[in-house]
Amino acid sequence: MNNLQRIQPPVFPVDKVNIPEANSFRLNNGVPVYTIEAGTEDIMRLEFTFRAGQVKEHLPLLASTCNLMLSEGSQNFSSEELNRSLDYYGVFLNQSAEKDSAGIVLFFLSKHIEKVLELSREILFRPVFPEPELNALMKKRLRWYLVNREKVQNLATDQFFESVFGKNHPYGYQVIDRDFENLTQALLIDFHLKYYTPENMAIIISGKIHGKTAELLNSYFENMVPKGINYKDYTTLPEGEKLKKVHLNKPGTVQSAVKIGSPTINKRHSDYPGLKILNSVLGGYFGSRLMKNIREEKGYTYGISSSVSSLELSGYKVISTEVGIKNCQKSIDEIYKEIKLLQSVPVKKEEMAVVRNYMSGEMLRMFDGPFALAESFRSAWEFGLDNNYYYRLAEKIKTIDPDEIIELARTYYNIDDLYEVTVGAE
Amino acid sequence: MINYKRFSLENGLRVLVHEDKSTPLVAMNLLYNVGSRDENPEMTGLAHLFEHLMFGGSLNIPDYDTPLQLVGGENNAFTSNDITNYYLTIPAENIETGFWLESDRMLELDFSQKNLDTQKNVVIEEFNQRFINQPYGEALLKLKPLAYKIHPYRWPTIGMDITHIESTDLEQVKSFFFSHYAPNNAILALTGNIEYELAFKLSQKWFGSIEKRKIQSRNLPVEPEQTEERIMTIEKDVPSTALYKAWHIGPRNSMDFYTLDLITDLLAGGESGRLYTKLVREKKLFSEINAYITADLDPGLIIIQGKLMKNIDIQYAEESVNLVINDLQNGNNMKDEMEKVKNKFESSTVFSNTSILNKAANLSFFELLGNPGLINTEADAYRSVTQEMVIEATRKFIIPSNCSTLNYLSTRKE
Repeated sequence: MNNLQRIQPPVFPVDKVNIPEANSFRLNNGVPVYTIEAGTEDIMRLEFTFRAGQVKEHLPLLASTCNLMLSEGSQNFSSEELNRSLDYYGVFLNQSAEKDSAGIVLFFLSKHIEKVLELSREILFRPVFPEPELNALMKKRLRWYLVNREKVQNLATDQFFESVFGKNHPYGYQVIDRDFENLTQALLIDFHLKYYTPENMAIIISGKIHGKTAELLNSYFENMVPKGINYKDYTTLPEGEKLKKVHLNKPGTVQSAVKIGSPTINKRHSDYPGLKILNSVLGGYFGSRLMKNIREEKGYTYGISSSVSSLELSGYKVISTEVGIKNCQKSIDEIYKEIKLLQSVPVKKEEMAVVRNYMSGEMLRMFDGPFALAESFRSAWEFGLDNNYYYRLAEKIKTIDPDEIIELARTYYNIDDLYEVTVGAE
Repeated sequence: MINYKRFSLENGLRVLVHEDKSTPLVAMNLLYNVGSRDENPEMTGLAHLFEHLMFGGSLNIPDYDTPLQLVGGENNAFTSNDITNYYLTIPAENIETGFWLESDRMLELDFSQKNLDTQKNVVIEEFNQRFINQPYGEALLKLKPLAYKIHPYRWPTIGMDITHIESTDLEQVKSFFFSHYAPNNAILALTGNIEYELAFKLSQKWFGSIEKRKIQSRNLPVEPEQTEERIMTIEKDVPSTALYKAWHIGPRNSMDFYTLDLITDLLAGGESGRLYTKLVREKKLFSEINAYITADLDPGLIIIQGKLMKNIDIQYAEESVNLVINDLQNGNNMKDEMEKVKNKFESSTVFSNTSILNKAANLSFFELLGNPGLINTEADAYRSVTQEMVIEATRKFIIPSNCSTLNYLSTRKE
């Protein structure tokens, strides 16, 4: 035991990632269903997703309010009854409206599938958007909003999207107090009628899938008949604001929030996997350059990260951090310094190996278990992609060379294109 | 049913293994039986600062993270009042790297002044980010010392004063390590794609030669029983007034724990909870309200906290909270409601056990409680709670003389 060699790590290569394929079929009314059998417990994750995100709204908060109001009363149940039933069967319901899509995700014990489908049908297709609940919700949301606007991080995020996607685009505009007074029952009914429709919808199921799922889905949802009306999609492309540098003064804060980034390509672009890798090197994991430099070397921050995200009509990359006011400018300078380094000096072999292996491990985690599998499936499927996207990414992780990283950094991180948002005390 | 095996090494390290072949990964959880309750009141925040230092290199390995990333692993850690918990997930074929890393930093840390200085700054930024620069961020920092007068739970894990963190020196760090970090004060859990035999062999190989250490004995002051209501009012420039109420409860290892946990679900579990239904939905007094128990090992707290709607009088809001509690004490028939919250617990338990990381953390924690089997039987403990127990626990614990109230008043004019 005394001869134990503690200096060198016992390293073995990471195995090839193996991604289970989703099965697909259509309900009798044409709605696509994707199923991924996985996991060890008798549980299911059921997602109903609609092209009903913010990009479809003509008034701020319309998409998110419509989504939140789905569970606030239906033709057959009051809001209280719906919530009590969900809780009684131990169902976890997540409602969300994002920039492009909106919908609900339910997590439950497989044995309750029938009850879950019955409640889902009420929530999705029979909501009545009662006025009193709407008024109460908007008052509550205003309170949540006011609290969120106290946080430098949230102020910076809102401003960042406005700068990058423009004041007039649903991807970009910021919500103001008055927006909470503008929504009516009629507007919600109209939005729901247009976008929560069979032709706008897909179902993604994962877990230990109950044997009767297909049959039950048909019996609950086949009566929803597509109306054959296609509302014209909002296709105006977002356009960033002219002003690249914005500072918002927030007196009394001890830290500033910083966001630096710009619009970028999305998953459909062939450079995207490479950009993901570049992002990892820069700020995508604990060992990234930004973390090493600004946290582990200088101790300016509790955390700094960068990310790349895809949207239907665009995409964006952003570096985020919260730093003590006195170190704010120094941190920003370091961020630009790190970007410039990536544009000029090839990443060394050793660092490439760490990034490659870290990301390979990350890919295993992305497909581990029924929930991760469903989320990874969805995030490719939304862009019309399948597992080949992930295989391409896995291949790129293995083969990308340092010159390509330099090339990508020069193309996608041109400093003059970057927006810089800071929020904090002056 | 989570199957697991358990063994101890000669040096006192306890190891638990659960095999799950459905994943290509292994989760490794290493729990050290030391938390902020073990700190000197003059030197708070040390357990958490120490957690940061654990990533700064050990006796034979200059940097913890890089070798782990190099084999596709990912890791993190947290510190609580009671424990410091380190965890990682790693592709199964590289699990030995996990053993190599974790055993080396149990063996001995590389105590460097530079690392200590940097991590002090990082922790101060963490303190600012989480508590100072957040609306209502200070609430729990005020509420805890109102409820606890002498027990170490009166300070938060990050430390009660930033100067404590600033003044920590290398000698204190070293002595903290050797009096708390040791095989005989730790629990290792491995879950996922690893066989019992391999786990045993590797544990023996990497941890077996680390010697037992003398652990600082734990003589924590017992918090005296609270006999009258405590009230604190502070004024802040925040958008809404908020109300925080805390009552003392029993230790984690008592049946009351399950009853009280269930009570928080009756009160605030999901949108059908009583507080939400009565005070958010019906009376429209709060924009949000929550109830929870601190899952501390020593006697903890049951806490209700909520933010008020505009122009609502805090006294009226508080009376309304008390009415909901009285209702619970009067104990009208709640058969369906009891069934509902128990079903929810059953469901959450199953969900929590879908992740290998959760399973590893749960096994370690339950081992610390003295019974790893709780991973399979806790749901039954919740099942066995009766309406009478709910009424009794409410009458025993959730009473004014046992309560600390923090009124967090908004000074803002709208």
